[in-house]
Amino acid sequence: MKIENTKAQMRKGVLEYCILSILQHGDAYTSEIISTLKSAEMIVVEGTIYPLLTRLKNSGLLSYRWEESSSGPPRKYYVLSESGKLFLKELDTTWNNLMVAVNQITNNKK
Amino acid sequence: MNKTININLGGYFFHIDETAYQKLRKYLDAIAKSLSDDPEGENEIIADIEARICELLCEKITETRQVVNELDIHHIIKIMGEPEDYSDSDESFQKTQSKSNNSKSNSKKLFRDRENRLISGVSAGIAHYLDLDVVWIRIAFILLTIFSGMGLIAYIILWIVTPEAKTTAEKLQMEGERVTIDNIEKKIREEFSSIKETIEDGANNVKKKVADGFQRNRKSTTSGLEELLNIIGSIITVVFNVIGKFIGIIIVVFSAIILISIFFGVFSLGSFELLGYGGDLINLPNFVYDSIIPYWILTICIFILIGFPFLILFILGLRIISSNIKQLSKTVSLSLLGIWIVALLTVLFAGIDIGTSDAYNGTKIETYPLNLTSKDTLLLKMVNDDELYYQDKLRRSTKRIKVEDNGVKKIYATNVKVSVEKSNTEEFIFEIRKVSEGRNKNKATENATKIDYSYSIKDSTLKLNAFFLSHLNHRSSDEIVYVTIYVPENNILFIDTSILSFLYRTKNSNNLYHGDLTNHFFEMTEKGLNCTDCVNEPVM
Repeated sequence: MKIENTKAQMRKGVLEYCILSILQHGDAYTSEIISTLKSAEMIVVEGTIYPLLTRLKNSGLLSYRWEESSSGPPRKYYVLSESGKLFLKELDTTWNNLMVAVNQITNNKK
Repeated sequence: MNKTININLGGYFFHIDETAYQKLRKYLDAIAKSLSDDPEGENEIIADIEARICELLCEKITETRQVVNELDIHHIIKIMGEPEDYSDSDESFQKTQSKSNNSKSNSKKLFRDRENRLISGVSAGIAHYLDLDVVWIRIAFILLTIFSGMGLIAYIILWIVTPEAKTTAEKLQMEGERVTIDNIEKKIREEFSSIKETIEDGANNVKKKVADGFQRNRKSTTSGLEELLNIIGSIITVVFNVIGKFIGIIIVVFSAIILISIFFGVFSLGSFELLGYGGDLINLPNFVYDSIIPYWILTICIFILIGFPFLILFILGLRIISSNIKQLSKTVSLSLLGIWIVALLTVLFAGIDIGTSDAYNGTKIETYPLNLTSKDTLLLKMVNDDELYYQDKLRRSTKRIKVEDNGVKKIYATNVKVSVEKSNTEEFIFEIRKVSEGRNKNKATENATKIDYSYSIKDSTLKLNAFFLSHLNHRSSDEIVYVTIYVPENNILFIDTSILSFLYRTKNSNNLYHGDLTNHFFEMTEKGLNCTDCVNEPVM
């Protein structure tokens, strides 16, 4: 059991939630999502995000549109879909419950 | 100075260094591989990733720096992460990469896995390759080492020839697909379908070229012909590739069998020697036993002499099968060559030593008078020492047998030739002529002198030994002892049957064959021996 693995698993579990949350505040293209996650130190490398975004999109939680860019190739802007919004709401409550539960357990230990 | 390649990435055009291109290509391939459990999303994800790389590269490229180099690729990989990071989150929790890769046709390669190593990662690499737990491989190596030493040799060879898995792509390949009969079959089918494609493409090309050629002029038909030749060339190359693999497998199997058998041969000989079993069970050529170089050194030298070429062959075969096996480094091959030459010289030296050891003949003659009066009848007999070596019936032969005489190992030989001749004087004379060989005249004579031949005389009975003893190190197998008894005229002698096989060039006036000469009384006459009690058959 490597500590790195456990850390990565913990982060990966909430990654989807984070992505959906970012898109809640407005449409964003891949690099924006990545830089937000990076600055919050949710991810270390960008590679992790691409499969995840594709999977979320394929399951209908996200949709996307192309937008021209002044520098570089056209950008893929992701949009939170209706079902994505519902999904996110569910996750919000789950997350809050989870936080309370985890806090309670870890605090009791002390 | 580096060659550049033009690529299209995410719809943008880049000049890229050749080395950087290889890096990027490998990286993208590895990503594709790690995403392969999701074939539908794969293309889309790759497109996204390419677009992102394009974006990152666009930032790097300026008017003054137009070419993408290796450093840029490194930088990108650092930002984007290693290929493992791409695998879908659900899957990567359980490291099931090797399983998920089964569906995809990517051939597995043998690498050393230094991450899970104990010594050099050979076992771990093999474990990946065979899809076994590394413990079993280690146990196999240890058992093989204990019981035959083979394990150690195999390990060292594998250590030398197997490269280490350094890049992620290599690691993925290391853990890649299982090697099964199905996959081998698939592989061969792939090779053949690629041949087919080449042929079809070629045929189409030729058709086109020929059509073009007719439309234009004759000059361009030559280029069509060239094309045809190229295609035939590439077909031949592919066919040879397939045949080459087969030849490679045959070479590897063949040389491995030879190596293993030589090794076991030498090993068992060595253990016999170590355990002190000096028997005649193993009959090596005299060359090995008789040499002045200790016989185990000579055996090892011969092993090296024969084994090394097969070792090289083995590695060559491996290289034919898998291009992944690296060439022996210069130092390794030079030292192998050096050891081989030393072994060759040693064996040559031993050969010359043996070859010259019997270059000269030496003779030692001893004569003894027999104190017999003319009235006595001389009784001639052969005797053996059954304690040394038991013989049911005394026979002369050129065989040489190792015996132990009072704790000293000696050679027991029966090459004794006995003849009876007329004495020129009035006395019985008894002559022993010992013949041996040696490196030079003196040595040969010395060897002859050392031959131990004895006889005994009691009353008028001469008992000759039916054997002689020679030094264990006398290599010559041509040692002979000639015994000649000179009998004065008119004297009587009796030849015992025991002498039958040893009788040599003995004249008689009865025209009897040697076979009929024994168990009779003879009188020495002017013309030689005359049988006095033979049943007289009419002489023709």
